[in-house]
Amino acid sequence: MKRIWPLLLLPLGLGLLFKIIFGQSWIENSVIFLRIDLGTLSLLLGILISIVLFTMWGMLLWQDRQYEGEFLQYQTKTAEERRQFLQRLDHELKNPLTAIQAALVNLDEESNQTAIKSIKTQTLRLSRLVADLRKLAELETRLIEHSPVNLTEVLQEAVALVQEQPVSAERTLSLSLPQAPWPLPNVEGDEDLLLLALINLINNAVKFSQPGATVEVRAFEDAEMVIVEVADTGPGIPEEELPHVWQELYRGQGARGVQGSGLGLALVRAITDRHGGQVTIRSRVQQGTVVTLKLPVGEVTKL
Amino acid sequence: MSVEQKPHVLLVDDEQAITSNLAAYLNRSGFETSIAGDGEEAMHQVEQNPPDLIILDVLMPKMDGREVLRRLRQVDDWTPVILLTQVGEASERAMALEEGADDYLNKPFDPHELVARMRAVLRRARPGRPPLSAAWVLVSGDLRFDRHARRSYLQDQELNLTPKALVLLEYLMTHPDELLSRERLLDVVWGWEYPVGSRAVDTRIAELRRALGDDAGDPVYIETVPSLGYRFIFPVESAK
Repeated sequence: MKRIWPLLLLPLGLGLLFKIIFGQSWIENSVIFLRIDLGTLSLLLGILISIVLFTMWGMLLWQDRQYEGEFLQYQTKTAEERRQFLQRLDHELKNPLTAIQAALVNLDEESNQTAIKSIKTQTLRLSRLVADLRKLAELETRLIEHSPVNLTEVLQEAVALVQEQPVSAERTLSLSLPQAPWPLPNVEGDEDLLLLALINLINNAVKFSQPGATVEVRAFEDAEMVIVEVADTGPGIPEEELPHVWQELYRGQGARGVQGSGLGLALVRAITDRHGGQVTIRSRVQQGTVVTLKLPVGEVTKL
Repeated sequence: MSVEQKPHVLLVDDEQAITSNLAAYLNRSGFETSIAGDGEEAMHQVEQNPPDLIILDVLMPKMDGREVLRRLRQVDDWTPVILLTQVGEASERAMALEEGADDYLNKPFDPHELVARMRAVLRRARPGRPPLSAAWVLVSGDLRFDRHARRSYLQDQELNLTPKALVLLEYLMTHPDELLSRERLLDVVWGWEYPVGSRAVDTRIAELRRALGDDAGDPVYIETVPSLGYRFIFPVESAK
């Protein structure tokens, strides 16, 4: 839209051309009051049309920007509201959980029944969830580290770490990394966070695969982006669930009965956003899922 | 053997479910606990019967915990204080330094963890003097940490550390001779426990050791406590 301005000069150019060609030919009994030559007339017309076009173009651009501004405002407002909600939730859950934990240590010494143990475990689980939600909300606003990150190493480590987990038993993890003509370029950002995002993706893929299945992790470079794909042959995600998988605490049909905090993909999205990247998911029921992570090479656009 | 006096703790929180349960546990853990339900009452009790340690919640009616802390420090009262809030963001850390609390703990917490910190704070406390957590410059042998400039030096050579390693070093130096679990340090470097969180701590510790020239097998500064965590073993003093 912004690049079309040379086109708007076309009438002016045509007018100029006519002026050069018909420069000396006079119009007899001119239709207008002024006695001017055809060349000048076309030049004037050209100027007029160009001005009109430019005005229209400017108005369109202005309107566009208005819309964009409103949309951005709306987006920041919802994001802000969500953050505030998470903060309130954190605040309201904190005190009861602290009281429960304190009450539990008092109980603990009097009896040691399985019921109490179970309450304890669940309280810890809730406490961790609250802490994770808080961290997730913080992730959107707080400063993150901006250091060069060698994704080749981070990927190797992520795969190795997931491989050690009991969930990986009987599953094969394959990692394919470019070496020729050159290895993956560095990205800029927070190594711990990127590792966490990758672990979450690989862990998910393994978790939702059948024993004997292979999870493929592959990375390559394309157009100033490093692209990481994590693909599994798991049960897949129905199309109508796909837009929701990035939301906090969302659990799809297929994820019920599988352990997890419901925060993994929300975390992956938040981390990718903070690195100026994109994350997308494609899936087919009964066939599998592939998550694609795109991270800009080198400098991260600072927000 | 002298009869050891139980440390007197003032627990300040407006949530009764917390204070009553926690007080019972603290009493059993060898403390003598009094309770205040808001900041004003806390100030009053500090005047009447000065405690050895104060556990302060932040959000309270009448006078909040930060205000209580400010008023105490204004009149040079350096009674050790554990503030029940989180200190994560850089801005919060700078503020915490000005505030002069001895330690921070975010709700919800494991009561055992609170007692561990209370003991550590009492052990570190230097009567009548600001705690290390409120010192602008920390010195430990050849190591110097300037918290104002956010730089650290070894034998006057500036250490080239990542921001996270710097934060970790700061935390270790303000909690010397204290066993710090990986989970706690994970909170400091702001990581997630799930699924393999302690790795983030171990890498940063390795980075620090490299920078400090510290041998993990025979450490001068940072000791590994097998399967429990880490400990900063060199004595730390405040300077300037």
